[in-house]
Amino acid sequence: MADAIIEGIRERVAAAIRVNNSVGIQVPEARHEDLLEAVFSSMCKNTQDSWTFVSVSKTFDYLTKVFKEGAQFANIRFIDCISRAAGITDLYKNCIYIESPVMLEKLILEILHNFKGIKKDAEKYIVIDSLSALMIYNDPEIIREFISLLLNRSRSENIHVISILVEEEMDSNKIIQLNDKIIVLRDSFID
Amino acid sequence: MPIKKEVCSTGIDELDLKMDGGIPLGSTVLVTGCSGSGKTTLCMQFLFNGARKGERGVFFTITEPLFKLTKNLEGFAFYDKKLIESGMVNIIDLRIISERLGLDTEKYTVEDAGALLDILKDIADELDVKRLVMDSITALCYRLQTREMIRDFIFKLGTSLAVMNCTTLLTSEVPPRTFKFSQYEIEEFISDGILFLGDVERKGDLIRTLQVIKMRGCAHTRTKFALNISAQRGIELLPLLKTTEFESLLKR
Repeated sequence: MADAIIEGIRERVAAAIRVNNSVGIQVPEARHEDLLEAVFSSMCKNTQDSWTFVSVSKTFDYLTKVFKEGAQFANIRFIDCISRAAGITDLYKNCIYIESPVMLEKLILEILHNFKGIKKDAEKYIVIDSLSALMIYNDPEIIREFISLLLNRSRSENIHVISILVEEEMDSNKIIQLNDKIIVLRDSFID
Repeated sequence: MPIKKEVCSTGIDELDLKMDGGIPLGSTVLVTGCSGSGKTTLCMQFLFNGARKGERGVFFTITEPLFKLTKNLEGFAFYDKKLIESGMVNIIDLRIISERLGLDTEKYTVEDAGALLDILKDIADELDVKRLVMDSITALCYRLQTREMIRDFIFKLGTSLAVMNCTTLLTSEVPPRTFKFSQYEIEEFISDGILFLGDVERKGDLIRTLQVIKMRGCAHTRTKFALNISAQRGIELLPLLKTTEFESLLKR
């Protein structure tokens, strides 16, 4: 049952991002990990596509332990915004580490740089996990400006953006509205 | 049909874009910033990018010994030892030149300043450089005794290098968090351009910034950019998220 639901989420997100440049996904905290599993499954299945996964809520070290497979694919690049800020010194070579989640301009530069040299016919995707976690470290206004700048740059470079918002963080509601499409995953729906 | 002006590309794409293609050829530009703001890196990238295009450059250091300077450069992708070995990028310790000229005094007389100016021009001429960096003009100005001497020195240096079509960057040291372009408050008036490297504090972290304050002979933006120093890509710029500025103003 759980696998079928994760597959269902994966298909729903995949269908939405195919026709929209940006998709915001609102998810309850309890189901956050299911959504991540669905996203990782999508990234692993589409090896011809190029993905950049920006993690603000979990360290890369944690992601490699939980989603072993996903961390090994060459078409997936990781940007970890919290390990260095948390003082974690055990860093991996196949991940880009940002000193702090408040270095938002640097984050955009690293994201955009990740897609340089990617084949023109490859679909390009950014996953931001999550806007809510970014708001722990930043004020809502600057995150709004950040996501607006990122969406504009990514539209001009034909990159799709999936941004995750954990439902309990209601302050970030306005920011998710900047996306072309919003998917609201409910606890009851997933169960 | 408008005449296309000649520019000296810094090789930092976003910066060139903000200055309508680059620094007007033969200009003397003040690169101002506090310690750690990226002045030396920017200047070095300017020289190495020029050398790759066949433009010879020279870097005069007064503040840092040569071995330290080159060691710090080794981490950057733009650094190429072969360009130094081939003489396309020349790094010279100005203190050694000064000592050899007998100018190792605390303060320069007018004659001392003249002798130093002559040797700088001779080196630039002999090497046929198209790009010159003085790191830092502040340390040099410290030895010039009056504001008139500083004005005269920078003016003469800039003029004689401009004749050679040589574009010059002079680094200027200022205290952190000050909107001040030079120590002696004269350097900026003689220079053709000012690149101001600063920082803004965001939640306790410092974000490096760059702003083109003035650039004679070119239409440039005065927008403040976030500056990132990447080992792989060197200096790169992105518009600074404006909310940061607002926060800083509120704190003031």
